[in-house]
Amino acid sequence: MELSFSVILGAWIATGLTLFILSFLYEDNPLFKLAEHLYVGVSLGYTIVKTYDTVVMTLIVRPILDKGEWSLLIPVGIGMLMLTRYVPKAAWLSRYAFAFIVGVGAGLAIPRTISSFILKQIEDTVRPLLGIAPGGGVTFDYSLLNPASHLNGIIILIGVVSVLFYFFFSVEHSGPGKTVARAGILFLMISFGAAFGYTVMARMSLLIGRLTDLIEFSDASYGRPTLWLVLLTVATLIILSRRGSTHPPNQ
Amino acid sequence: MTFAERMLRIDRRIIFLVIGLCTLVPLLFPVGLPIKISSEVRGVYDYIEGLPEGSVFLLSLDFDPASKPELYPQAISILRHAFKKNLRVVAMTLWVSGTGLADQILTQTAKEAGKENGKDYVFLGWSPGGSAVILNMGQDLYNAFPADYGGKATKGLPVLAGVQNLRDVTYAVSLGAGNPGVEAWYVFGKDKYKFELGGGCTGVIAPGLYPLLRSGQINGLIGGLRGAAEYETLIGQKGKAVAGMDAQSATHLAIIVLVAICNIFYFSLRRQQRRQDGMGS
Repeated sequence: MELSFSVILGAWIATGLTLFILSFLYEDNPLFKLAEHLYVGVSLGYTIVKTYDTVVMTLIVRPILDKGEWSLLIPVGIGMLMLTRYVPKAAWLSRYAFAFIVGVGAGLAIPRTISSFILKQIEDTVRPLLGIAPGGGVTFDYSLLNPASHLNGIIILIGVVSVLFYFFFSVEHSGPGKTVARAGILFLMISFGAAFGYTVMARMSLLIGRLTDLIEFSDASYGRPTLWLVLLTVATLIILSRRGSTHPPNQ
Repeated sequence: MTFAERMLRIDRRIIFLVIGLCTLVPLLFPVGLPIKISSEVRGVYDYIEGLPEGSVFLLSLDFDPASKPELYPQAISILRHAFKKNLRVVAMTLWVSGTGLADQILTQTAKEAGKENGKDYVFLGWSPGGSAVILNMGQDLYNAFPADYGGKATKGLPVLAGVQNLRDVTYAVSLGAGNPGVEAWYVFGKDKYKFELGGGCTGVIAPGLYPLLRSGQINGLIGGLRGAAEYETLIGQKGKAVAGMDAQSATHLAIIVLVAICNIFYFSLRRQQRRQDGMGS
């Protein structure tokens, strides 16, 4: 299959930047810094261009000029007030914009967050013990004859209560309280372990993704950029380390 | 210096090399370890499988190229499944830096399935506001996205026939790498506008989303590369995720062995030092 020049160029750039970033695993070096700065610059540049095109042109300028939607100037005006932060004498005007944004943001987020993350989660935690009665209201529906049926729910209930107790500092953690707090620590450790395990999996997935691309770009149809750029990176690292060893740091 | 001491002070670059080799070798010589399907991934698959033809399926690709290895295979598999089921696909992103990648994923899978832009699927692109976009879509989808990614007016597109807001969406899946992502879609979308929601995420944020799954706030969760591999297996189109699972297993094994060995050396060294201290006193 014949590949276009842009695809081949993209493969060379992607391979080079991947290898330069991975060279940090050996030691900090100028190749890594080049790739790091390029990454930050390109992603910021892309975001600015996309935002300008989508927000300024598509959502503001074109509707005003093409459709005469002059009411859009109100949110634009509120947004522009934020820029007064850069003019010390007019900086007080920015408070109106911030007040509007904080007010709307908090008004939207607080009730929804309480409902979604606090009330729903409390409901789920006590669900193994309590149920909603057919005519409304709450009923105790835990089956003492078959405790295994709600085993997971009971473990979660014990975990939530013991962890909350561990963070309850108004009473001394002694006697039975110490046992509950220690159980809380145990549950926290298990949770941190699970989170760490998933984090390791995620990082390994990223490495697999990069190596998959490097394997793909070692193909002759791309001009074998992986092979040539590995040689270039290794050679550069050797030269840099030799040059570094001839100039010992000043005491 | 004893062997245990030398092992505990091992150059970290040797560990990087071991992990690198454990990743590279299975990628070059795949073994094909079996992949067990978890109930959380099956939740998303079964729901899409049960949707009638022509249902409105909203896919929010809330990630950028930094999370591509994990979420790209998930997005490809879900889109392949949705196109195979002849669902009306409405795709979008809440991450401005992921717009180009999302467009590429959708265009590639639609072309593969022979689907037509505007009729079978639409890419709405990105709109500013994060979570506020979801609320805006809940009120009026055409107000949040007056035009699609290509600049064509969304009103009148056959794929959006009968769709006014999020209440008309049959099923939504957010593939999130952070905030805004799955949580935002639940808080500002499903909880308010009552549509069914599934999630896909990177491995890092998966543990934080399990409480939502357990409480039924989301009906399924595809976690990381493993979740993507499970979905690829379910749809019978093995891709990049399945190819990476051997490497994933090998690296995990290497890490477990390294942790175990280092602990053994640590405890043996401590015991040795205690014995020496005892002899000295």
